[in-house]
Amino acid sequence: MTATLRLVGPLKEYANGRSELVVPSGLSVRQTLVGLGIPPEVVALVVVNEEQQNKDYILQEQDVVRVLAVIGGG
Amino acid sequence: MNGYGGSILRVDLNSGTISRQPTPAALARDFVGGRGFGLYFLTREVPVHADPLGSENKLIISSGPLSGMLIPGGGKCDWTTKSPLTGGYADASMGGHFTAEMKYAGVDSIILEGISPKPVYLFIDDRKVELRDATSLWGKGAIDVEVSLKKQYGEEYQIAAIGPGGENQVLYACINHDYGRQAGRGGVGAVMGSKLLKAIVVHGTQSIPVADLDAYRQAGMALYKACKDSDGLKDWTRYGTTIVVSWCDEVGALPTRNFSAGSFEGGKTLYGPVMREQIVVTDKGCFGCPCPCGKYSRMKRYGTQVEGPEYETIGMLGSNLGISDIQDVAQANLLCDDLGIDSISTGGCIAWAIECYEKGLLSKTDVDGLDLRFGNAEAVFAAIKLIATRQGKLGVLLSEGVKRAAQKVGNGSEKFAIQIKGMEQSAYATHNATAMLVSYMTCDVGAHHNRAWAITYDLQVGRDRVAPDKVARVIWLQNFRPMFDVLGACRLQWVELGIDRDLYMPALEAITGIRRSWEDLEKVGERIWNLARLYWQREIEDFGRDWDLPAPRFYEDPPTTGVTAGQITRFEDVQRLLDMYYEQRGWDANGAPTAETLERLNLTVVPN
Repeated sequence: MTATLRLVGPLKEYANGRSELVVPSGLSVRQTLVGLGIPPEVVALVVVNEEQQNKDYILQEQDVVRVLAVIGGG
Repeated sequence: MNGYGGSILRVDLNSGTISRQPTPAALARDFVGGRGFGLYFLTREVPVHADPLGSENKLIISSGPLSGMLIPGGGKCDWTTKSPLTGGYADASMGGHFTAEMKYAGVDSIILEGISPKPVYLFIDDRKVELRDATSLWGKGAIDVEVSLKKQYGEEYQIAAIGPGGENQVLYACINHDYGRQAGRGGVGAVMGSKLLKAIVVHGTQSIPVADLDAYRQAGMALYKACKDSDGLKDWTRYGTTIVVSWCDEVGALPTRNFSAGSFEGGKTLYGPVMREQIVVTDKGCFGCPCPCGKYSRMKRYGTQVEGPEYETIGMLGSNLGISDIQDVAQANLLCDDLGIDSISTGGCIAWAIECYEKGLLSKTDVDGLDLRFGNAEAVFAAIKLIATRQGKLGVLLSEGVKRAAQKVGNGSEKFAIQIKGMEQSAYATHNATAMLVSYMTCDVGAHHNRAWAITYDLQVGRDRVAPDKVARVIWLQNFRPMFDVLGACRLQWVELGIDRDLYMPALEAITGIRRSWEDLEKVGERIWNLARLYWQREIEDFGRDWDLPAPRFYEDPPTTGVTAGQITRFEDVQRLLDMYYEQRGWDANGAPTAETLERLNLTVVPN
């Protein structure tokens, strides 16, 4: 019962440079980020199976999730 | 000279004299290009205390060694002048395709000086350079002018033009290019208008000499491959800077109703995905860019289209004006672009005027009968037109920027005039984000975000912390990030796609034949930063610590709604931030670089 979490750009620093992690399903994106030591507020965009979701989305089995931080601004 | 167009083009609008000199190798070594060239010429050539809108001021357009090259994002050029808005240094970066054509015409910098006796435009076609009559273009919108000149000369000719805002010398008038790209801030368009220069047309066909062609190809391809392989490419292409809207709303950084809050109850309808679904027609990139972050949008309600809106415009003409309909924001964006006024400053000025009106500090007569309230898009459209044409009491008042307007209206309105050094703050609410606050306070053109975008750092390490590491982060960003404006490249590929910045160095070496490191370039960046500070000191008699203070709203007036409700940065902490900043910069307690600092940076005399 897992999902795939892809960390984009500087977020990789929170996972020792790894960009793809296998994470448990059944938790929200927010809970998953906290569990990985990533402050949820630095994540600007959550894309689940190519659709934008908010951080309260509950991960489903085999979901592919992309999370992206912004460091440059508008 | 490898990597450069090879000449400085000087246009004296007083006499119509046009001349070229070779680009000095020492200038390229010490100031590299772009913003470095601009500040060098400004400091050396514009007399002390020159009237920004007078004959003595100059407008300097500069490319860099990466401009026009096969480097991701090599489409940036830099516009430098003495700002009519702030009285200090102005430097505005512009994307698109202008810089590439300029360089292919053999030009590294265009120095525009004097005032033409009649409206003209500058025509550059390789070695042919002429001033041509622009009487028939005067009064037209910037986009109309571009359409007209492209029709006359062809699509390969690149155009930069002012609208009525520049002609009327609105102090924050901008320069428009490629239909939707701007040199936006500090009133560069007003300076161009003061010279009666309506537009620049440029086209070139010459090759840029490079030191090592094979190495250049390899280094360029490595940069493109890194962009293509980036996980962020898809989302930055899909949403561009509008990615930031929802995030800012969530963390309390989205300017709302004149920065009285950092979250907007109507914000969701301004988010990137909503905009993408409702109005975006296609994506648009600048020269050589693999990540087309620009968006063409169609506003069906108005029967119009625009490139944009970008995040900054959504923040300043949307939430900051209480407007929640993305079509309304895009329409206001179009008006600003075509009329040629900076959408950030325009949003800041109108938001202040609305607050004044709602508090009874401006009467119905003062606002020319408009129902000037937050959320009223029609009133905003009318106000934009009044500003650009300097018509009506409201248009005249706001055309000089929010600092001067607040000085005229008084009655406490200065406290909610959201500006630093006379420049309206761009679209990040900084009630409780101390690194971003000090970034705005110390920015070298006024309250602008792009030198040191430190707000993510605030969130990572504790947004209300007041500590030396925050200041150190801001200083490093200020030295480093503007180097992209020196090199003539967009920073998005590094900063958002996350490509390794060291990939740029082999490309720079292959192009110029000179090996440089980022550490070396950061020293150049520090030198430029300090020279800009000296420029402010030179031009403004009482320039000092007080000029670095933020709007009182951020230390006296906490938001009552949103995630930052009740939060401000205490004034004593604002002062502590400045103390730390000055100390780390090697500046004295009034913000002046010390003799030791100037000596270390070889700035004891004006560079030559």
